[in-house]
Amino acid sequence: MKKYNFLFFAVILFVGCNNVNTTAVSNNLDEGKGSVAKNSAVAPESIFNLTDTFQTQKKNNIVLASLSGKPTVVGMIFTNCGYACPHLTADMKNIAAKLKGNREKVNFALVSFDTDRDNPEQLQKFASMMDLDKDWILLHGNEQAVRTLSVLLNLQFDKDAEGNFSHSNLISVLDKNGMLVYQKEGLDADHVETVEKINELLK
Amino acid sequence: MIPVAGGEYKSFYVSKTNKPLKVAPFLLEEYAVTNLEFLEFVKANPQWQRSRVNALFADKNYLKHWESDLDIGLSNKKIYNSPVVYVSWFAAKSYSEWKHRRLPTLAEWELAGSAPPENVNYASMTSYILNWYEKESLPVLPNVKTTYRNTYGLYDMHGLVWEWVFDFNSFVSSGDSRNTSDDNNNLFCAGAAINVTNRDDYAAFLRYGFRRSLKGNYCISSLGFRCAEGFTQRR
Repeated sequence: MKKYNFLFFAVILFVGCNNVNTTAVSNNLDEGKGSVAKNSAVAPESIFNLTDTFQTQKKNNIVLASLSGKPTVVGMIFTNCGYACPHLTADMKNIAAKLKGNREKVNFALVSFDTDRDNPEQLQKFASMMDLDKDWILLHGNEQAVRTLSVLLNLQFDKDAEGNFSHSNLISVLDKNGMLVYQKEGLDADHVETVEKINELLK
Repeated sequence: MIPVAGGEYKSFYVSKTNKPLKVAPFLLEEYAVTNLEFLEFVKANPQWQRSRVNALFADKNYLKHWESDLDIGLSNKKIYNSPVVYVSWFAAKSYSEWKHRRLPTLAEWELAGSAPPENVNYASMTSYILNWYEKESLPVLPNVKTTYRNTYGLYDMHGLVWEWVFDFNSFVSSGDSRNTSDDNNNLFCAGAAINVTNRDDYAAFLRYGFRRSLKGNYCISSLGFRCAEGFTQRR
């Protein structure tokens, strides 16, 4: 067994050493899809390179690049979640409150894992229930789009046999160009630094 | 494409709420995508050439074993029909879509891979796989269809390369094993009750650990992929 353990950690070390910074030429994941990000100047490592379409709680079709211009705080949730997701949403509301006067200069986005049940109507209900103001954007996407976003955010999620999800509780901060600048894992986490990072982005 | 009967997939780890997943019948490629096959994709999709690829979607090791953007290289002749490796999840996914296919889900792949070999003797599936994991990698990656065929008719499910799956990032666990279990409860939802179903399936444990350590743009020497297709997709 010892030998296998060693192999296991060797694999992890090996993978962990993979550096990501390289020369990058801008290109979209799938040039056939979407048009907004295609010709605009999206930075190569921006999350906005994801060109899949999402639907908002107001039934508008958008690509993530339409969030550009302001920093965005992103959480991934599902509305049938009894504990963690309302909690994560409340954490994001606290971040919003702590931004005070800067609040309006920041997008707050919640993306649902639940591609089956969380349609725009359901997301609108959740928004009302959680008392999220009109500046919040709640997104429904197809399975491909949602999985790809989770991969880009390095977030784990799994759907169980009953259609519920286990998932990382992760709040991510994107700058106005869609670059991932900060992440904080955990519920009730201390978001002093998160707020600081956002305020820095607004300077 | 090889039909794989659906069934129930029981993850090697379960939580209290986690029942076995129902997997619908699907089709899976007989063998992993080869270098030659992948070259066709790169030719048709210039944004996936090594010098042009976005680092967000493939790290600097992407196709590093090839001679150049559109040339595997004559000196690499032996690997033309070997599984393509040094490909990221994004590249594998994009290839699958280009073929009008998709990546198999983790449950599909594990179900397909659990079928016993047809043409090799082994003490147990686990010992066969562990024996492979333990071996040092060969200087030249063998061609596809050179290990075993399983009872579905799928080649090399274990024994040549590890393979990307669509939801490789679905093993929900804390990113840092140094956290105490108390802290972990708040890091991920429903994760606290995770338990192992079959302690003997150490090979599965290794695969989960391996997948957990990956990021979507990683390109590594031992990781390839094959495509799947739903029966409904076909119609």
